[in-house]
Amino acid sequence: MEGKIIVVTSGKGGVGKTTTTSAIGAALALEGNRVAIVDMDIGLRNLDVVMGLENRIVFNIVDVVQQKCKIEQAAIRDRRIENLFLIPASQSDNKDVLSTAGIERVAEDLRKQFDYIIMDSPAGIERGFENSIVGASEALVVCTPDVSAVRDADRVIGILYSRSLTPKLIVNRIEPGRVKRGEMLSHEDVMDVLAIELAGLVPMDDKVLISSNTGTPLVLQNDSKAGQAFKRIARRLNGEADLPFEAPTDRSSMWGKISRTFGLR
Amino acid sequence: MINFESVAPVKLKGVGKGFWITLDPSQPEKILICEIDKLIRKLKHLAVNADLVLDVGDAKGHDALIEQIKIYLRENFELGHIGTSPVKRSVPLERIRQRDLSSGWNQHRSDVLMLRGRVRSGQAINAKKHLVITGDVNPGAELIAGGDVIVLGKLFGKVHAGYPDREDAIIFALGFNPSHVKIGSISALGSEGGGGSSSEFASVENNKIIIKDYMKASPFRRLPWPEAI
Repeated sequence: MEGKIIVVTSGKGGVGKTTTTSAIGAALALEGNRVAIVDMDIGLRNLDVVMGLENRIVFNIVDVVQQKCKIEQAAIRDRRIENLFLIPASQSDNKDVLSTAGIERVAEDLRKQFDYIIMDSPAGIERGFENSIVGASEALVVCTPDVSAVRDADRVIGILYSRSLTPKLIVNRIEPGRVKRGEMLSHEDVMDVLAIELAGLVPMDDKVLISSNTGTPLVLQNDSKAGQAFKRIARRLNGEADLPFEAPTDRSSMWGKISRTFGLR
Repeated sequence: MINFESVAPVKLKGVGKGFWITLDPSQPEKILICEIDKLIRKLKHLAVNADLVLDVGDAKGHDALIEQIKIYLRENFELGHIGTSPVKRSVPLERIRQRDLSSGWNQHRSDVLMLRGRVRSGQAINAKKHLVITGDVNPGAELIAGGDVIVLGKLFGKVHAGYPDREDAIIFALGFNPSHVKIGSISALGSEGGGGSSSEFASVENNKIIIKDYMKASPFRRLPWPEAI
């Protein structure tokens, strides 16, 4: 059976595409799948840093597309999680070096070798974004609960639809306390505007920054709320479509405390 | 048939149970009253309890004059009801009604563009004439229509109705909250936050775009008959 290529995109930068890509990739690998994570942000690579694999880069995706090396040579195996591989971006090239035909050919090869290929798309809707959706069979749109991210995600969703991709939504960095105080959009508000199928809700978590800086996989940290949320998203992608959604809650609330006391959550 | 081209300032004609007085409102009030007085006095007992219609033809803005004449007549004669002529319907309107009465819209070909679904950010929809969208219009989307814009959903984004210069167009939405509205050549910025909870419409009044509650001030409620557009 051929693998699935899932592109992670958002339109706006800084909403957590790279974190999402690495966390979902790692979680899918933990579920027993053979997973390749591909950094498509040519010229501005950082997925290798987030995954803690920056010191082991020899070849990159540009080399693979330009047939300077094989996929096996460019794919870096993660030592902590079995079956997890990273194909890094090039830091010295720009986004125009990749040809559509070349990407399609590599996508075909990747499908044969892996169960899941997660593509980290660059921000924007230009060439880099176009390249990253060329071979995709599924799309995840990451959106934070703020007006500008929603606007950009909406634009990207429109483009994905026009390419016959039906995207799913990840609402990232939800802060229930701020939602309650009316300082932030709720995930319902975001879903109301974007109106696509939900893939998961991810709460704001300080551990994400630490994990990214130290290059340790978020999903291996059992006390990370975001990590657990990404694990649930991976399970949904991996066939557990009925897994219920857990709306992030404000743990400091009185009701939360009472609920926990009585073992309700 | 009343002769509107008559040079006489006042003319009287028997109509059904009463009389029809056609008067020239450009004449001074005194002359008119004097003439009417003469005519009614000639009628003698026939004028008692007779209904009277005061007709100024197509002239407008003579309500005060008619009121003065009415007061004079009530004080000096024992007439029945004193009224004014009903508003004359123009011939084309009659024809439109006849056409609509015979379901003329069965043969009507329309340029109305009707779409269903969500209009997303970055999408621009151009309609030659009226535009109907059954769905939401997201922030960042743009609608341009030669006629009215009707959104059966939440309207955010930018809307231009009556493109390029029809200022009789309206913009309606079940949830009215556009970022920018333009009707013909008149534009206005949308409201910041809030709004959008009730069905509202925008139209042009005195060269300004006015937003009103649709259920309270529907612009189409005045139309007595369905018209094909």
